[in-house]
Amino acid sequence: MNLDKNENGSKKFKQFDRAFFQSSDNFTCIGKGSLGGKANGLAFIKDIIRDNITPEEFPQIEIFVPRLTVICTSYFDAFMNRNPFLKEFINSNYSDERIAVEFQKADLPVEIVGDLRSIIHDIKIPLSIRSSSMLEDKKEEPFAGIYATKMISNNQITVDERFHKLTEAVKYVYASTFFKAAKDYLAATKNSPSDEKMAVIIQEVVGERFNDRFYPVISGVARSFNYYSIGKLKPEQGVVNLALGLGKTIVDGDISWTYSPATPKISPPYANSNDLLKNTQTKFWAVNMGHIPQYDPVNEIEFLSNPDLTDAEEDGTLKFIASTFSVSSNRIVMGIGQEGPRALNFAPILQLNEFGFNNLIRKLLTICSDTFENPVEIEFACTIDIINKKLRFGFLQVRPMVAYSENIEINDDELNSDNVLISSDNVLGNGVIENISDIVFVKHESFDKKYTPQIALEIDSINKELLNRKSPYLLIGYGRWGSSDPWLGIPVEWGQIAGAKVIVETTLPGINVELSQGSHFFHNLTSFKVSYFSIHHESENKIDYNWLNKQKTINEKSFIKHVKLVSPLKIKIDGRTGRGIIVK
Amino acid sequence: MKGTDFNPFAMAQAQFDKVADILALDQGTRDLLRNPLREFHFSIPVKMDDGTTQVFQGFRVQHNDAMGPSKGGIRFHPQETVNTVRALSMWMSWKTAVVNIPLGGGKGGVICDPHNLSMKEQEQICRGWVRQMSKNVGPLNDVPAPDVMTNAQHMLWMLDEFEVINGAKYPGFITGKPVGMGGSLGRTEATGYGVIFTVREALKQMGIKPENTTASVQGFGNVAQYAIQLYTQMGGKVVCVSCWDQKDETSYSYKKNDGIKLEELLKITDKFGGIDKEKAVKMGYEILDAEAWIEQEVDILIPAAIENQIRKDNVDKIKDTVKIIAEGANGPTTPDADKVIEKKGIFVIPDFLANAGGVTCSYFEQVQCNMNYYWEKDEVLSKLDTKMTAAFLAVSDLAKKQNLYMRDAAYVIAVSRVAQACKDRGWV
Repeated sequence: MNLDKNENGSKKFKQFDRAFFQSSDNFTCIGKGSLGGKANGLAFIKDIIRDNITPEEFPQIEIFVPRLTVICTSYFDAFMNRNPFLKEFINSNYSDERIAVEFQKADLPVEIVGDLRSIIHDIKIPLSIRSSSMLEDKKEEPFAGIYATKMISNNQITVDERFHKLTEAVKYVYASTFFKAAKDYLAATKNSPSDEKMAVIIQEVVGERFNDRFYPVISGVARSFNYYSIGKLKPEQGVVNLALGLGKTIVDGDISWTYSPATPKISPPYANSNDLLKNTQTKFWAVNMGHIPQYDPVNEIEFLSNPDLTDAEEDGTLKFIASTFSVSSNRIVMGIGQEGPRALNFAPILQLNEFGFNNLIRKLLTICSDTFENPVEIEFACTIDIINKKLRFGFLQVRPMVAYSENIEINDDELNSDNVLISSDNVLGNGVIENISDIVFVKHESFDKKYTPQIALEIDSINKELLNRKSPYLLIGYGRWGSSDPWLGIPVEWGQIAGAKVIVETTLPGINVELSQGSHFFHNLTSFKVSYFSIHHESENKIDYNWLNKQKTINEKSFIKHVKLVSPLKIKIDGRTGRGIIVK
Repeated sequence: MKGTDFNPFAMAQAQFDKVADILALDQGTRDLLRNPLREFHFSIPVKMDDGTTQVFQGFRVQHNDAMGPSKGGIRFHPQETVNTVRALSMWMSWKTAVVNIPLGGGKGGVICDPHNLSMKEQEQICRGWVRQMSKNVGPLNDVPAPDVMTNAQHMLWMLDEFEVINGAKYPGFITGKPVGMGGSLGRTEATGYGVIFTVREALKQMGIKPENTTASVQGFGNVAQYAIQLYTQMGGKVVCVSCWDQKDETSYSYKKNDGIKLEELLKITDKFGGIDKEKAVKMGYEILDAEAWIEQEVDILIPAAIENQIRKDNVDKIKDTVKIIAEGANGPTTPDADKVIEKKGIFVIPDFLANAGGVTCSYFEQVQCNMNYYWEKDEVLSKLDTKMTAAFLAVSDLAKKQNLYMRDAAYVIAVSRVAQACKDRGWV
């Protein structure tokens, strides 16, 4: 299955019809050219679901791909060509916000404005305006999460207002092609901006309206290969992350529920109920259907709200996904039948296998992997019809992951050798790396959680330098890389660390969180074969900071240091056991 | 171009009579609608640059204002006649009605040749026209607009004169003003784009992709240029355009089999839409006679110049390959030629539907002026597309349902709307 090939959108999807939301065609395209990676994946999965899953197999689940239309890449070309003033902004170092503002001033191609108006003319449901670039979702270079997705509430009273919001969102997604993260990513993947063309998916959001919030009860990402497999679980058994509300929680790397589809009843290894309570989701993302606090067309989350579990409780959406901490028994009790703090552990769905949810996940992972002949990652969102006890499963995305084939072995002696700079038995990746002489690390002595945004900026500047010099480097830091919560780790975007070939994340007392699992971020790491070491501060595996500090300093900033070695490091990772060493 | 002895008003009345029969209109309504409600004929004295005084003949005809203020352009043309203005004002009534905007029909003109007038002299004609008409035009009763050989500058002079006379700001008095001075974004493109929006819908109904079609266009003025632009952007190929050559006082057709290139032709085109013949030859264009545009083996013909261009004497030159005629100009087809076209089974998008994009956008301009809040281009053009598409579909649906020729179906919709408005007001 090759989804990288540019296919003419008009051949794959029917041409858009202005009676779109009344027609039986769930997939249409506007214009010619490529559909982009994401839309191609969805076109593919539509057929796979039809051919492989019968309604009888999952009688309590309705599986669907949400209705969508794609503005093909030909109109991206037209947009750029007919607004030549944008060239000044795309080839320079203007901020993302400035670029987005300039794109808002540009005119969309006249050929599509009537079609866009017709989309929102008769409907007021929230829409997701998603990037679907030609390079995005390529197997070797996954541009996942690099470009923008903007959700709009699309519930304004007048057609004019709804049309405005839609056009603003399309222009914002176009602008994101030239945001800094995308440019850095292109540089890291040796693509030039001219290689990239953007298609835009306009898709209905899966969810239901509760008060001023519109969201799915469950969103999730499932991977058929688990690079963080622990205990007796095998990487091939896969891993699933579930969250309440929009999938942004998962793709941003915020706290979600992680389980293996092979053992859905087994919780992650929390120390106790208190620990579980602290490390499960407390806030979720929803489309804001009420008053928008600020008009801000260049803000990706302009129409999103971030309510907490008490709001979800009020909405009545916790029934199938939450459990309750019983103060009297000091344990977590399945369901929300009694008073007490709620824990989002999806127990009713997973422990009782309500709806046959996990069976469906396993089946989808199997058929998608078989068809791609490769491990895959899928995204989905679900709503639950409580009265009819039916789950609606909206399939949002599928993309291939990269698997490793090289066999490396690391024995105990090697792991504990004095010559080792870093060792870990929780390593992502596989193989031997012998071309790294640059090390960038967060200084132990000056690290403070409150300065993580500044640390991210410092890393960005050194990353840029090393990218320019085409020098891969080892990056070492504290907390969860790529966390959107700066108190949980260093809030870098992928583009800011894109030159790192090996990344180490380590906990510290006081920053003792589950290590990085940001979905898009994670996918990029693995697909680029970036090796990833996780080290808990209480484990036997240590980092030899004394040795690091003795190396030749190239650049020292307030929080980070860049050192250069005379001879390159030797890095070995055994992907099957998860062991890895970095030899001085 | 031929046809100086042609009476367009007689043609407009003949078309109306045919529809009145289909609609079985009563005699009173027929009498009211086959003639203008009001006509103004006046003289405009102008001090010429050489010190002499020249008097120009001006007109304004208000055909019908039952649906709203009269709306229509002001033409500067040496061969202008009151019959032309009458016909055009009647067509404006049908045009505003077919796209269902709350306006009536009017038209104005001055017998003059701007090619031979300085800007100062043209300004005096504009101001003189308004002085003569100021009591009978305005945002609430008659709203002029640019037309043949008048443009945004002329409109601004007229607006200024009107505001001086009335002692206040009335941006809604006139449309087609420059952007930033009360004009609407998208107005320049509106008529040409509107033509192609209807062509696009016609092709959809025929199951033909624009990229598999070719077209020949008569005229290279504003309407033709933007029609060519959008049609080409949609993937179509224009192989021939014709235009007036001021120096030779005749028209020529410019042909390129692999498709004309709009951008290169615009570089050698004057402000009246005249292409430099010598430079066109150097660019590889074949120069043919005036009528060659109609003889091309294409899928689509777009007459977008002036009235009376497809006649009994040349209609047979239309090739069998032609599937659509989209009338960008007003009244380009005579009734006898129309019968031949109908018999050939060519799908006609009649003038007052095909070129209604201009007046529709003028209406948007008025709305914006009245709010003193101006829309973005995306919004203007999306509304234009929606309006034009809806109007086209209403006409084509009726044509299919009642087995009518497209022109007749458009007339039936438009005339019945105006007749109903007259009835509702108690006029008839």
